[in-house]
Amino acid sequence: MKPARFDYVRAESVEHALAVLAERGGEAKIIAGGQSLMPMINFRLVKPAVLVDINHIPGLEMIEEQGDRLRMGALVRHRMTASDPAISRGLPILHEVMHHVAHMTVRNRGTFCGSVCHADPAAEMPMIAQMFDGRVEIVSASGSRVLPASEFLVGSLVTSLEPEEMVTGISIGTSSPDAGWGFEEFSRRHGDFALAAVAVTFRVDDGEAIRDARIGMTGVGETALRMRDLETLVDGRRLDETLEVEVAAWLSDNLSPNADIHASADYRRNLSGVLAVRALRKAHARTLERRAASGRERDHE
Amino acid sequence: MSKPDYSDVTMRPKMVGKRIKRTEDRRLLTGTGEYVDDVQAAGMLHVAIRRSDQPHARIVSVDAAGAFDIPGVVGVFDISDFEGECQPAVPTSRMKDYYATPTWPLARGKVRYVGEPVVAVVAESRYVAEDALEHVLIEYEPLPFAIRQVDAVKDDAPLLHEEAGTNVIIRRTFERADVDEVFRTAPHTVGGTFRMTRKCAAPMENRSYMAQWDKRRRSLTLYTSSNIPGVVRDVLSDCLGLSSHQLRVIAPDVGGSFGGKGSLYGEEMLVCLLARKLERPVKYVADRLEDLAALSQGFDELIEAELALDDDGHFLGLRADVIGDVGAFSIYPWTAALETVQVISFLPGPYKIEAYRGRIRGVLTPKPPTGPYRGVGRPSSTFGMERLVDMAARKIGMDPAEIRRRNLVRDDEFPYRTAPGIIWDRSAFQECLEGACEALDYPRLVEKRDAMRAEGRWVGIGMASYAELTGIGSRISVAPGMPINTGTETANISIDATGVVTAAFGVASHGQGLETTLAQVISDQLGCSMEDVIVLHGDSSLVPMSTGTFASRSAVLGGGAATLASHQLKAKVLKMAAILMQAEPDELEMDGSIITARSSNQSLTLKEVAKAVYNQMGRIPRDQRVDLVVQETYDPYLGTACSSTHMCMVEVDPGTYGVRILNYVVSEDCGRIINPMIVDGQVHGAVVQGIGAALLEEVIHDDDGQSVAASLADYLLPVATGVPDIDIVHIEAELPNNVGGFRGMGEGGTIGAPATIANAISDALSPLGVGIDKLPATPERLFRLVEAAKAAG
Repeated sequence: MKPARFDYVRAESVEHALAVLAERGGEAKIIAGGQSLMPMINFRLVKPAVLVDINHIPGLEMIEEQGDRLRMGALVRHRMTASDPAISRGLPILHEVMHHVAHMTVRNRGTFCGSVCHADPAAEMPMIAQMFDGRVEIVSASGSRVLPASEFLVGSLVTSLEPEEMVTGISIGTSSPDAGWGFEEFSRRHGDFALAAVAVTFRVDDGEAIRDARIGMTGVGETALRMRDLETLVDGRRLDETLEVEVAAWLSDNLSPNADIHASADYRRNLSGVLAVRALRKAHARTLERRAASGRERDHE
Repeated sequence: MSKPDYSDVTMRPKMVGKRIKRTEDRRLLTGTGEYVDDVQAAGMLHVAIRRSDQPHARIVSVDAAGAFDIPGVVGVFDISDFEGECQPAVPTSRMKDYYATPTWPLARGKVRYVGEPVVAVVAESRYVAEDALEHVLIEYEPLPFAIRQVDAVKDDAPLLHEEAGTNVIIRRTFERADVDEVFRTAPHTVGGTFRMTRKCAAPMENRSYMAQWDKRRRSLTLYTSSNIPGVVRDVLSDCLGLSSHQLRVIAPDVGGSFGGKGSLYGEEMLVCLLARKLERPVKYVADRLEDLAALSQGFDELIEAELALDDDGHFLGLRADVIGDVGAFSIYPWTAALETVQVISFLPGPYKIEAYRGRIRGVLTPKPPTGPYRGVGRPSSTFGMERLVDMAARKIGMDPAEIRRRNLVRDDEFPYRTAPGIIWDRSAFQECLEGACEALDYPRLVEKRDAMRAEGRWVGIGMASYAELTGIGSRISVAPGMPINTGTETANISIDATGVVTAAFGVASHGQGLETTLAQVISDQLGCSMEDVIVLHGDSSLVPMSTGTFASRSAVLGGGAATLASHQLKAKVLKMAAILMQAEPDELEMDGSIITARSSNQSLTLKEVAKAVYNQMGRIPRDQRVDLVVQETYDPYLGTACSSTHMCMVEVDPGTYGVRILNYVVSEDCGRIINPMIVDGQVHGAVVQGIGAALLEEVIHDDDGQSVAASLADYLLPVATGVPDIDIVHIEAELPNNVGGFRGMGEGGTIGAPATIANAISDALSPLGVGIDKLPATPERLFRLVEAAKAAG
């Protein structure tokens, strides 16, 4: 389990990294946290001729609040995402999701952007990017572009990133302060990739009807998914047993998850319904809590 | 042999029984341990191995021309390169109906499982060797195969070893009384087909070997991660045509085995052959993919079994037909009988069952060979038997603890001879059951379960009782019919001129803490302070005959040998001291390395006595002087029973089918405890391993013969977050009739946990009519079972 020979370049700047990518094109690979790339290199599943190490480029490790969006630089580690106050204000669900991302040692190295670029179909960060209108900032020696996450993520371990391009950051939307959230994931062991996971945020109106729902899933398709049809299904409805049954049935009818040695497609379909209902209930409970809390604050004013 | 006499106050144990921190931990925890991979030598070469990607195929040709273009490649070898340089290792046995397959360093003529070593590349570094592997082209002619044991056992199945004439290389039946007649008339019977799937022992340190050829002495030293260096030395000296003084086998610090490193491997032969041929040190370290593909595997039996009982819950008879999937080879030295025959030897468990028939067929399939795995046979047999016991209790509406109480061998019934001929000496069978019930307050636990159930939760209680034969002496070999003596252990204890006590053993500690526990025994029995004792082990040159550490033997046999040798050595020390102190030896006592006379307040240190014996000419008359050296061998003859009951409560999530263990208790009798901290650690570790077997771990071969849980991303070992607090109740019944009063206990947790958890899940799902007959009980399997039960209405 030793990697094939490769060259190593310690990039001093984004321009430096891009110059190497332009020169070496398809045979170069960017390394940030390396938590997925290094095992693949050791297994010789990937044999890059040159590794471009971006870990020492200054300025990429920032989490920035940009209006109602959050921007994660290319070197924002999972542990930073997990503890940043801007995230707990703007996207509290991401904090909860982080509990399910591998283990502490992996979170210390692995990056938000790296996880999205790796595009594992059972990973959580691509799901967050899909769910919250992620915009992937891409640069190359010849220019730059911004792609929505939905266009960036193409398939299992496949993105639309070109060989000479690199991702410098990803911005994601935030959830409104009165939105509740729920995240449910099930894996064989804590920290493993999800057999299925469902993330939900919504707020409720005065009639307790669900509004502005966002639903993301991972582990049940070729990529992480944003479930727009399911969002439509729940929109304007009160969360009751009828809706829960409908949601589970919809998922059972519409998902076509993969089968592997850990779980069949049938099991994953069933699991998705179970997790979706639990996530909806949690989101609903939090919505009510948040509304009550903001009501109390108003009373104080 | 009688129990040690502690009536004399000076013989009371001081160190034995104490929670002493392990003396080996300082080096292991500070990174100064030395594992095989740490062993360096000038000019050392590295080996990478090309393994078969075919389950069964003829090797047509090997083309390695491209490999030599890579700078640093020294050589590429297949089996033809060692023609005339080695003999195979053949795991012979006195058992009839057995065929011994030969073990060669590399595949010979054909391959028989995916992962079998075929070609070795030797290079200046492991990186280069792996680069070169990609240029080794092997042409195969695929051969037909039967990957499942139910197919391989058929008369017309393709043969893996044509010379055997059959795939069924081991058959055995144990029978007592007319069991069929018992079943014909029994008021109740229960039955099922139970399957414990294949496991990989997965020690943290992968298998590692380094061989060094000494041109001057024409001798070989093999550093190996083995836990049986003595056995490896004996067999390799035959295979390689070296006399035993030309071959020394050293197991330095070893990072766990769990049975996986307890057999001879072709790669061990290979590095020796290469070192001798190339006259350079040669190292091979298996990586995780290789160990998951080719480390000896565990279990893999299909157990069809039935239990007959009367209205009062008394067991009347047991019959079983077992097909053991032994993989592609009979493993050296244990043979294919080790795992398989133990299943039917131990199936009746700790219960009184008069009528029994257990039949086993061990069948070859194109998979890695099965071999020792912590618990050997008994995790499978206990799973099958304990499921039957719970099914029986349910059938007659009796509490599962009560039905066990009625059938466990009682105090007045020891020694009890089981139908397969195992003799249980007195052990706390009943007391362990009561201990578990008390620890978890069983009646309240049942109430709690029922209350949770009333809320719609899937909660269940499970228990399992078992006994194991440990510390086996020379009456029977650890593996049935195996012509290797596993029943004795030798201690060579000497006191040098500075008063340091050096104790050398044939055992090979690979995580058990034997350097600590054996020093505790010696400290008490010799009367020296523990700091003065150095324990040496894991080296074939230490004592004349050795095997290693396996089968829960080292505390019993090593501790016994240490006791016998210490007593004799103490007599010698006191004899010399008596001369120096002008006293009678029986007036003297040694404690904490200080010799005192009862009749006066004279004292001498051990160091002073040693100095007088070795260095101070004339202080002891030369006709009375003796060396302070004793070598003694201990043979307990019979083995001793170690017994236990495990109990736990689990909750199954009705949506995800995930299983959470809410609490867990182990109540066990391991005789006199040398070091409670080490015993607790063994119990915890073994239970965790059993949790892995119950819920997570499974080696899976698909229909094409490929292993599909090939990395640790798919072969799921337990992690800390899935492990509950484990309570332990130590019960010391009457001590066993051996020197020291110790029972072996390192394997028990793995034996009890799978059955306990399976029973708890079955209890949780009993309202749905679902029972567990296959482990691990994965969410997918539970989902299928519940769906099927719902569909059946």
